Amino acid sequence: MQQAWTIEQVAAVAPSPRSVAAAEPLAVATRWSALGADERALWGRCQGSGAEPYDTVVDHAEVAWRCTCPSRRLPCKHALALLLLWVRGGVGAGSRPESVQSWIDARDRRASGERGATDRPAPEPGVAPDADPGGAAPADPIDRGDLDRARDERVARMMEGLAQLDRWLEDRMRTGLADPALARYATWDELAARLVDARAGALANRVRRLAGLVGAGPDWHSEVLAELGFLHLIAQAGRRLPTLPGPLADAVATASGWQVRQADVLAGVPETDDWFVAGRSDVREDRIEVRRTWLRGAESGRWAMLLSFAAYQQTLDDSFVVGTIVHADLHRYPGGSLRALAGRRYADPLPFRTPDALGVAEACDAIGSAVAREPWLERYPATVRVMPSVLDGRWVVTDEHGSLPLLGDDRAIATLVAASAGSPVDVTVEWTPRGVQPLTVHLADRTLDIGPRADPTFVGAA
Amino acid sequence: MTAEPRAEAPADLDADWRELVTTALLGTDRRPPPEVSIPVAEVVDDAVRPDDAARMLAAVGAVAAARRASFVPGPAATPLQPPAVDTRPWCSAASVECWRDIVSDWPVLEDEWVLTVVEQGLRVPPDALAELLFRHRADAVRRTRIALAAGPAAGWLTDQIDRLVPSSSSVSVSVSVSAESVTSLPDLPLPPDLAELLSADAHTFAARLVEGFTSSTYGAAHKAVLVNLLARCRPAVLLDAAEALDQVGVGLALALGDLARLRHRMLTTLGIAV
Repeated sequence: MQQAWTIEQVAAVAPSPRSVAAAEPLAVATRWSALGADERALWGRCQGSGAEPYDTVVDHAEVAWRCTCPSRRLPCKHALALLLLWVRGGVGAGSRPESVQSWIDARDRRASGERGATDRPAPEPGVAPDADPGGAAPADPIDRGDLDRARDERVARMMEGLAQLDRWLEDRMRTGLADPALARYATWDELAARLVDARAGALANRVRRLAGLVGAGPDWHSEVLAELGFLHLIAQAGRRLPTLPGPLADAVATASGWQVRQADVLAGVPETDDWFVAGRSDVREDRIEVRRTWLRGAESGRWAMLLSFAAYQQTLDDSFVVGTIVHADLHRYPGGSLRALAGRRYADPLPFRTPDALGVAEACDAIGSAVAREPWLERYPATVRVMPSVLDGRWVVTDEHGSLPLLGDDRAIATLVAASAGSPVDVTVEWTPRGVQPLTVHLADRTLDIGPRADPTFVGAA
Repeated sequence: MTAEPRAEAPADLDADWRELVTTALLGTDRRPPPEVSIPVAEVVDDAVRPDDAARMLAAVGAVAAARRASFVPGPAATPLQPPAVDTRPWCSAASVECWRDIVSDWPVLEDEWVLTVVEQGLRVPPDALAELLFRHRADAVRRTRIALAAGPAAGWLTDQIDRLVPSSSSVSVSVSVSAESVTSLPDLPLPPDLAELLSADAHTFAARLVEGFTSSTYGAAHKAVLVNLLARCRPAVLLDAAEALDQVGVGLALALGDLARLRHRMLTTLGIAV
C-alpha cells in the first residue's frame, strides 16, 4: 500500500487551520465504521451529527474526496479526519467496496476523457515515480501511465499556481505595502488556499507565516518586502524548473512544495556516518508543531535536518537525543537538501564528545554560502565558539572578530550567559534572518539543551 | 531587533534596499522603481520586464538575496566581566535531571535538593541556576539559599538579566533573612502518630504505612501529611517504604512510593550514601 501522508500534507490540503482542528475530534477509530484503505483510496462511515453516518472516501493518490455530509468546504472535516486517522495508522488495509470502486472508476474515466487518448504521455521505461522502494515494477502498465498523467497534471497545476503567485506579487508592488488589504489575514489566506490548490503546500505555509509579519514590528515593511522577494525568486525558478541544473531544480521543487514520497527518499543512497545530534528547535506553524533536529556528520562535516510534526496531542520524535552521537544512515531529500530521513541505526548512541566549533566570521561564511545556494533558506545551523554579551542594548554572541544578534527567550539567554560566565563557550545556533537562536551549549562534561520547546499542553507525552 | 541584515552588508546594497523599501511602501503606481547598483542591476535586466511592478519585484528579489548571502558579522562586543571564581564542582548532570523531576512532580523536595548541594560542597550548574532564579524571584529565603548553592554566579547572573531581578513589589528589599531559615529545611506539619515515625527503623516505618492503607486509616485526606512524612523521614527507610507502598497497590500509595524513590535518587545523585 502507498505510504501514508504526513500530518503536514494533511494540513496543507485543509481549507484552513480551523478545519484541521474541527477534524481532530473525529480522527478516532470509535467514530468510524467500515474503515479501509488500499493503494489508491481510503474509505469509512463517520458518525456525525446526523442520524445516518456519512460515507467518506479519499483518493490519496490523486488527491480528491467525496463525502455525503452537507458541508460545502472541501475537503470536509470528515475527509480530513479520515486522512488524520490514516496518517496515525488507524486505518487498516481492506478490499475496496463497490461504491468506492465506482467513484474511482468515474474519476479515471473523467480524467481520460479530459485528456484524450492521444494525449497520454508514453510511460518512461524504468521510471515509476510512485513505485515502492523495493523496485518492484507496477503490476499493470496502464496504472503507470495513469500515475505519469497524474504527475503531469500536478506539474501543470503547480506551474499555473506559481504564475498566479507572481502576478499577485506584482500587484503588491503596484499598490504598495501601505495597502490596508495587507493587514487583513484573509488577503494572505486566500493566496495560501490557491497555492494549496496548486499543490504548492510549502509556499502556502510560507505565505501564512508571512502574514504574521505584517505590523509585527517597527521594521515589518522591510521584512515583508524581503519575503515577497524570496517568494518571487521561488516562483520564477519554479517556472523554469526544466532548465535548471538538477540539484537546484530539486531544491526549487522542494521549496515550492513538490511532494516527495518518503519511500522514494529512503530508496536513495544513504549517507552513513557518526551523526552528532547538535541541537533541536520546536516551532508552532499554524496548528502543527514542527521539530527540527540538526545533525552533523563526524566524517563528512555535513549538516542534515530531521523534521518531525505533531498536531494537537500528538508526539514529536525524541529518538535523537541532543549531545549524543548516532552511527546511522541518513537519506537526503533530492538536491542535496539539508532535510533528511533517518534510516538504519547501527548502534546505540555513542558518548558525548565536544563538537568542532567555528568563529563568528567563519560561521558567517558558511551560512552565507548556504544562503547563496538557496536564497530562500529560512534556517541554517552552525556550532560557534562565542561569548554572549551586550551590544547597543541587545544580546549578541561575539568573538574578537565580530558579533551576531541573539534571539531566544530570557531563560535560554540566561542559561547561555550562566554557562559562559564571560568566557568563550561552544554553542550550536540556528541562523535565521532575524538573528541566531541558541539551541545547545556544549560544555566539557554535559550538554545544555536550550532550544525552543513545544508547548507541553499542545503536544502529547512521548 | 532591526530588520535584516543583522550584521553588515555592503553599503550600496543597504542603500538599494532602503530605496526599494521606500518605493514598496508607496507602490510603483505612485513612484517608479529605483535604479539599483551595478551587479544586481545586471541580474534584474537579465530578463524582459514588462512594467514597473515586474521590474520592482525582480529588483527586490535580487537585492534581498544578495544582502542575505553577503552578510558579515557586526562589530565585536566587549566581553562580560566574569563572576568571581568558585572552585566547587558542579553537581552532576544526573542530579540536575533529578531536580527537574522534583520541580515537575514533587516540588516539596526542592529545598532539600538545594541545601544538599551546599552541604556536599557542590555548586548549582548553569542550566539549573537560571531556572532556579526564575522560579524563586519573589522568595527571599530561597533566593539566598540559591546564592549559597551557586556562589558568585547567582548574583552575577541576576545583574546581567533584567528579568531575574526581584521586583520591588514581590520582594521587599528591606526584608531580613535569618541564617537559620536559609540553612535549615522548613518545618512540614505532621500529626503525632506520623511524627513518631521520623525516627523509626525501616521495617517499622514500612509496616506502619502498609497497615494504615490496608486498614483504610490512610486515604486521600491524608495525602499532604504522608507527603510531608516521606519528605522528612530518615533516608535509610526510603527504599523499603517505596517497596511496601508499591505492594499496597492503590493510587495514593503508588504515588507516595514514587516520591520515596525520587527522594532516594536525589540524595544518591548528590553523593549521599543512603
